[in-house]
Amino acid sequence: MKNVVGLIVNPVAGMGGSVGLKGTDGETYKKALELGAQPVTPKRTKDCLSRIERKDDITLFVAPGKMGEEYAEAFDTPFTVIGAVGEETSAEDTKRIAAEMVSRGVGLLIFVGGDGTARDIYDAIDSQVPVVAVPSGVKIFSSVFAVSARAAAEMVDAFVEGTDVTEEEVLDIDEEAFREDRLASRLYGYLLVPNVRSFLQPGKAASNVSISSVESKKEIAAYIVEEIDRETLYLLGPGTTLEAIAAEMEVPKTLLGIDAVFGGELVGTDLNEKGILGLLERYDERKIIVTPIGGNGFIFGRGSKQFTPEVIRQVGRENIVVVGTRDKVGRLDCLRVDTGDFELDELLCGYMEVVVGYKEGMMVKVRC
Amino acid sequence: MRETIKLNMNEVPYLPPREVIKAAQKGLAKLNRYADPEDLGRLRGLLADYSGVPEEHVVLSPGSDILLREVIHTFSKGRKVIIVSPSFFSTVQAAKQFATKLVSLRLSPPEFDFDLNLLMDELQEPCLVIIDNPNNPTGKILLDRQAVEAIIESTDTLLVVDEAYYEFSGVTFADMVHDHPNLAVTRTMDKAFSLAGARIGYVIAGEAFRDTFSSFYAFLPQPSLYAAIEALNHPDYVRRNVQRVVEERERVWRTLNELAVHVCQSTTNFLVVNTEIPDIVKRLRDIGILILDLSNQLPSGFVRVSIGTGEENDAFIAGYMKIRAAYLNGMQMNAGFRG
Repeated sequence: MKNVVGLIVNPVAGMGGSVGLKGTDGETYKKALELGAQPVTPKRTKDCLSRIERKDDITLFVAPGKMGEEYAEAFDTPFTVIGAVGEETSAEDTKRIAAEMVSRGVGLLIFVGGDGTARDIYDAIDSQVPVVAVPSGVKIFSSVFAVSARAAAEMVDAFVEGTDVTEEEVLDIDEEAFREDRLASRLYGYLLVPNVRSFLQPGKAASNVSISSVESKKEIAAYIVEEIDRETLYLLGPGTTLEAIAAEMEVPKTLLGIDAVFGGELVGTDLNEKGILGLLERYDERKIIVTPIGGNGFIFGRGSKQFTPEVIRQVGRENIVVVGTRDKVGRLDCLRVDTGDFELDELLCGYMEVVVGYKEGMMVKVRC
Repeated sequence: MRETIKLNMNEVPYLPPREVIKAAQKGLAKLNRYADPEDLGRLRGLLADYSGVPEEHVVLSPGSDILLREVIHTFSKGRKVIIVSPSFFSTVQAAKQFATKLVSLRLSPPEFDFDLNLLMDELQEPCLVIIDNPNNPTGKILLDRQAVEAIIESTDTLLVVDEAYYEFSGVTFADMVHDHPNLAVTRTMDKAFSLAGARIGYVIAGEAFRDTFSSFYAFLPQPSLYAAIEALNHPDYVRRNVQRVVEERERVWRTLNELAVHVCQSTTNFLVVNTEIPDIVKRLRDIGILILDLSNQLPSGFVRVSIGTGEENDAFIAGYMKIRAAYLNGMQMNAGFRG
C-alpha cells in the first residue's frame, strides 16, 4: 500500500532574510516585498521533491496553488489538491489545510518554511503524524528541521522504507524582539520526524553566559582586533561573540543584524543584501566574520541570510573568518552551510579554522 | 548496598597478581626513605627492555600526564602547539595553559576521522604536535607508521605520541624513537598493568627531548616503584588482562549494537556511546554506575564507558537498557502516536 504524503509550502517564508527583516511573521512579508525580496521557497520545495527517490511508493496530497500545487510537477507523479486558499495566504491556511490532510489519511506531512511555519503545523496536527520540515525560513532554530532540502528528501525516503520516528523541538523566536535585537526564544512544542539523526539539525543551544564564556569571547575579540587591517572592510555577522568583537573595536553592534566596519569606523548598520553589495563595490579588501549558531553549527543559511550566495561569492571563502568560544565549538559535530546554492555550499565545505581563543584556533569540518 | 560500579576512569577492573601487591607492601616498609636510585635504575632498565628501546631513552614519572604537561610546558615556547580535539583531558588543559599559539584539529563525529593532510598543511612553522594514539575518548587509532614518518620528517616539528592504551591497540612507534630525535612516546602502567593506583608513567624520548629530561628526575613512591618492578618481572598477567578486556569490550560492543545503541568501535579499554537519553550519566549514577560525560568536548549525547568485569558490564547494559526503555516509553506516551 502506498504512503500518503502531504505537502504544504509557506510561500512567504524566508523572504525577509536577504532584505534584513529577520522573519516574515504577520504582515512583515509585505514590507519584504516592498524591499524587493524574492520568494525562496519555490527552489527549496523543488529541490526537495525532485530528490525523493521512492516516488512510486507515495500518493501525494498538496495544498493549493503556491502553497504546494505549483511545485507538485517536480514530483513527477499524480497528486490531489486539498483545500482552497485566496490570493494572499496566511498562517490560518497552513493550519486548516494541515488538519484537513491529516483527517484525510496523510501519514507524513512535508512542510516548507521556518520556525513560524513549524509552530503553525504543530498547532494544527500536534503529534498525530510525523513531518519532514524543509528549511526555508529566516529563523530556523528548531531541531525539527532537516539540515537541507536534499536531506529532507532522504528523510522522506527513509520514512517510506519504514524508519521509526522521533520527537524534535519546535522553537520560536519572538520576531518583534528579534528586530529590536533582543533574543527571546521558547520551546513551543514537539513534532514527530523520521528518526534519521544525521539529517536533522540540532536545535539552537542556549547562549552560554558563564564567566568563562564571557572571558573566552573577550580573548577572541582581543585577538581579532589585534589582527585587524585598517584597509579592509569587515562585515560582522550576528551573535554575542561578534558583539564582543565590536565592543573591542569600540563600535556599536546590532546583536542580530549585519554591521560593517572600515578603518575603525562603523560604515553600515543592520545591513540587508543590497546594502552589503553596495559596500562591496566600494571596498576592495573585505572579510566576513561570523560565528556558528550554537548547537547546530550553521555559519551560513540560518539566522544571517543577508549573507546571500552573491555576497559570499564576492567576498570569497578565503576571506571568511569564523569565531566561536571553545565550549560552543567543542559541542558541535561540524560547521554547516545551507545557502540555497549547492555549488557554493560545496565550495564552502572542507575544513575551516575557527578562532576559539587568543591565538587559538580549531580546524573544523564544514558540511552541507 | 551494592558497591558503585566505576566505568568512568578507564581503569582495568582486575587486581594485579599477589606478588605485585606484596611488592607494594614491601615498599610500605620503606616509607620513611626516598626511592633508592638503584631501584629507579632497575625500573628504567626493565621498561626499556619491555619497550625494546635503549635505556637512555626512558624517563620515569609519577603518571604520564605529568610528562605530557612538562613536554608542553617546555617545548611550546616559540612553537605552535597542535593537538586533536577531542583528546586526553590533561593534554588539552596543558596546551591551553602553556601554548602561545594553539591549533586543535577537530575529529568530527560520527567517524572521528583524522585528516593527515590537514595536519601537514599546519606544519609550515616550528610546531609541537601531540596526538594520543589510540585517541581518548574516541578509541580510534589516528596514526600509522607512514603518517608518523611524514610528520617527523617535516622541518622543525616535534611529535609526541601518547600511547597510554598501547597494550590494547598493539600499535606503537617506540622503536622509531632511536632513529628520530624529534619523536617521543609517552606511556603508562596505569592501564594494562592494573596499576592505576601506583601512577607510573614513562616517556621514550628522542634525542631532541632528552637534554631537557636529563634534569627531570622523579623520586617515585616506594610502593609504586616496588610494584612496578615486580609487575615487569611477571608481564604474562598483562597479556591476560588485555585479552580479557578486549574480549569483554567486543562482547559489550556486539550486545549494544544488537540492541540498536549507537556505539563506536574501539582499540582501547573503553567505548564511546552516542545516546539519545538526556542525563544518562546522572540516571546511571542514580543506580550506582559511573560513566563519563563527554559534553565538554563533544556534542551532547556522547558518553565514554570503560570496560569493567563481565558482571559490571552486564549491570551497565541492563541498567542502560532499562533507562532507555523507560525513556522511550515516556516519549511514546507523550506522543500518543503509532500505538
